[in-house]
Amino acid sequence: MKKKMNRRTFLKYSAAVGATTAISGFPAVLRAQPKEILIGSIQPVTGPLADIGIACRRGNQMAADEINARGGIKSMGGAKLKLLLGDSEAKEEVGRMEAERLIKDGAVCIVGPFMSGIAMAIATLCEARGIPFVIDIAAADAITQRGYKYTFRCFPTVSTFMKNMGEYIGLIVKEKKVAIKRIAVTNTGDLFGRVQGKAWIDHIKGKKLPFEAEVVEHIEYPVGVADLSAEVAKVKAAKPDILCPVTRPGDAKILIRELFKQRVELLGIVSPGAPGLYEPEFIRDVGKLADFVLNNVPWVNPRSPKFKEINERFSKLYPGKYVDTNSGYAYLGVMVIADALERAKSTKPEDLLEALRKTDYRENPMVGGPVQFAANGDNPNATSAMIQILKGEIKVVLPKEAAEADYIFPAPQLWERG
Amino acid sequence: MGGVYSLIALGLSLIFGVMKVINFAHGAMLAWGMYIALTTMRLTGIDPFFSFLMSAACLFVIGYIIQRTVVNRIMPFHESMQVIAMVGVMMVFENLAQIIWGPDPHSPHTKYSLSTVWLGSVMIDVPRLLAFGIAILIATLVFLFLKYTDLGKAIRASADNRTGALLVGTDVNKVYGVCFGIGAACVGVAGSLLVPLIPTSPHVGFPFKLTSFAIVILGGMGSLPGAMLGGLIIGVAESLGTVFIPSSLKQIISFSIMVLILLFRPQGLFGGKG
Repeated sequence: MKKKMNRRTFLKYSAAVGATTAISGFPAVLRAQPKEILIGSIQPVTGPLADIGIACRRGNQMAADEINARGGIKSMGGAKLKLLLGDSEAKEEVGRMEAERLIKDGAVCIVGPFMSGIAMAIATLCEARGIPFVIDIAAADAITQRGYKYTFRCFPTVSTFMKNMGEYIGLIVKEKKVAIKRIAVTNTGDLFGRVQGKAWIDHIKGKKLPFEAEVVEHIEYPVGVADLSAEVAKVKAAKPDILCPVTRPGDAKILIRELFKQRVELLGIVSPGAPGLYEPEFIRDVGKLADFVLNNVPWVNPRSPKFKEINERFSKLYPGKYVDTNSGYAYLGVMVIADALERAKSTKPEDLLEALRKTDYRENPMVGGPVQFAANGDNPNATSAMIQILKGEIKVVLPKEAAEADYIFPAPQLWERG
Repeated sequence: MGGVYSLIALGLSLIFGVMKVINFAHGAMLAWGMYIALTTMRLTGIDPFFSFLMSAACLFVIGYIIQRTVVNRIMPFHESMQVIAMVGVMMVFENLAQIIWGPDPHSPHTKYSLSTVWLGSVMIDVPRLLAFGIAILIATLVFLFLKYTDLGKAIRASADNRTGALLVGTDVNKVYGVCFGIGAACVGVAGSLLVPLIPTSPHVGFPFKLTSFAIVILGGMGSLPGAMLGGLIIGVAESLGTVFIPSSLKQIISFSIMVLILLFRPQGLFGGKG
């Protein structure tokens, strides 16, 4: 009798095929091939942070392409790097699931994930699976405070941010002889926004600033907010000297416009470190209002030859874009992995782990020293710079050894700029 | 914001009231309305406050096509099955927008986006005022259209009793198509009015969609005056609420209103029995 293929038999067969595939383990076969080394890249490429996620993915990819163009990992017979792409959708649980999938697909190492909350989730998973996890961007201190062996972080921590922010502002107050007494803080309600906002407030309240100041208003609003009129009215009522916003790309524009509309008088806008206030789209869309914004961020080092080289390539690939914190650190993350692979001469997790611990990567395009990893996985040489937008261009203004221009403070009011 | 909320909820309520299909792609359509206004502005320099007609027309066509291709086929199914198809439509829309226009939020500098009028110490934001005015105007027009034109009457007839409308010779499928088109056009107009106010990105519609569900429930499922009034109430409540509670908890307000309504008046302010 001829057997007909109906839905049930089809399901039975496909289940059987699926099961054998899973048992025979394709991933293992992939791992054995020396020609290609798989690295899992997880970034929030869709969802509310899609723009940043894509910048990060591009940074990761650019580094992998550079290594491959130079002939791959030489100590392993010129094996090429291949990024397995994962999308966290800016959600913790999705980030973890994606990491799980990429590890199953044979990733020897995970890089990413831009968001601190997701970094926490992936770090735990990687520790359990014994796969090295190199954080390109994620700042919350707690990620590396749990004694994990497999987690490494290129990016500075929130406490580094705050230490620098305090020093830079202290310097500004001293040099310009202005009084900053009343500080207003706004932040987004995601893990990074909260941690960054709270850390800055604690820094001020803990009297760690070199001058006397108090927090007169603190406002938190959700990521993807559509209207900040009531929030800005509160800021205005508090009469702050400076506003310290922790933003994301969308709300940064709403915030600046609202400050203009409501005529909020400020000596300046000084962010303790946040995306949204330095992207080309920010300058394009808000124009003159973007000028004089100070931002304490881990930035590219304009004096580094490496930066010039990659920035040229990046702007050619993606017209209108430049390498910034996000694409820069994403690039660095994969370069650090490639460097470790070169020295490890193997993709075995233990060898890679050993090599990562001994990292001393000197071709750093960002402000800060060579990338090294302390016992907890943090990079003690990662730091932040104070940048300012001047005539529509971003300039590093502090520290002095990387500065391209002198900062302007106090800034002219938003509505007095012609 | 209230007026724009009204318009978004009106579209949702119209589609639900007539077809009993919940349009999960509503937020994504809002983003499309914004992008169309944005593209029109980039190409021709027409301010979004005038190019809303363009968004409305495009969204009408898109809505009509979606109704004829997707919604019409799933209408006889159970709600839970409809949801899957509509969420699918939503995903296609969101990701198409990301592919076509890219992921970066756009917030162009328009003529009115920074203008304000001061009445003593009270600031009135011109783009918000304009958005409110136009939204209310459009909503009223849709309202009158449904009340007094033949097509409008046919739409209401099909909503009340599909079989009855069929029996007296209404082309129900065409009516449904037009109705979905109008619902989509409403959200398109709302989108173009939002361009000067908030940055446009592919996923911008999601919170608006959630809020508009709350509005539709507040006003009564399928009730158009309910959707309008509900929009105004939620809009005012949200901005007043931020004075008293942290604004990261903003959405609590609209949803607590929704919960209260469900507890004490489940049919909504204007909903009939059912």
